[in-house]
Amino acid sequence: MRDRFDTLYKDHVDLMYRYANRLCGEAEAAKDLVQETFLNAYRGFNRFRGDAQVSTWLYAIASRACLRMRRKRKGAPERELSLEEFIPSSEGEFHLQIPVEGLSPEEALQNKELRQALNAAIDKLPKKYKMVLVLRDMEDLSAKEVGTVMGLSERAVKSRLHRARLFVRRELSARGHAEGNHEPDHG
Amino acid sequence: MVKRAAPKPRRRPAATPHQHEAGRCLGILRELSDFIDDELPNDICLQIRRHLGDCPHCEEFVASLRQTVSLCRGNPAPALSANERALMREKILNAARSR
Repeated sequence: MRDRFDTLYKDHVDLMYRYANRLCGEAEAAKDLVQETFLNAYRGFNRFRGDAQVSTWLYAIASRACLRMRRKRKGAPERELSLEEFIPSSEGEFHLQIPVEGLSPEEALQNKELRQALNAAIDKLPKKYKMVLVLRDMEDLSAKEVGTVMGLSERAVKSRLHRARLFVRRELSARGHAEGNHEPDHG
Repeated sequence: MVKRAAPKPRRRPAATPHQHEAGRCLGILRELSDFIDDELPNDICLQIRRHLGDCPHCEEFVASLRQTVSLCRGNPAPALSANERALMREKILNAARSR
């Protein structure tokens, strides 16, 4: 059992920490979530039937643990995002107010201000939308795999993903970053 | 030699300011993630491309949504150090033994 756990841990701890960090937005909370995830995996190892990939199983454990931890903190209730709220109301809202033209995403993200704006936008998402965005657009899972992780149909995943992307787009569009404000920073 | 008249420039429909609450643009808005993920049937993609050609606002909107998705995909995440990995493993095994 211990050997199997060690292999599981060694092979997946970095993946789970990356996911946890993206969900929690800060290191200590991410470490707590990773510990809770692997503790639950340790206990449930014998019940894992191998229907899904091990990583998908771990993503599901981490996602449930994250929702439980959030409920314990008794934060504000989750709100639903409607499509209508993302329709721009003025000309300036159609494009991103951030310096990304002509840069690859990696080059653009060397800009600390842009990175912070992006992370703040993702962090503001209601949790159930954030999880879908992180799993699909950052962890690169397919919509079907995200559905398996979250217990949702593929259609529901796509609907949440679309709203999450529109939310982040609107946040980046509304931040009013000045043109030419993209001195690279490697910090 | 007969001089051929220069071809008339193709007329692009005038980009008249319009309300994006209007049905067509809202209909497009609903489909945009599937459009940029290339998950729509060809005929719907064609309709959307035509609409984007006629509507600079929607074209700009799609470009900004694509950029947003690219930024999310390229966003780096911090990694654990070897010490942190080892320390967490110990904590997990201790918790498994004690509970």
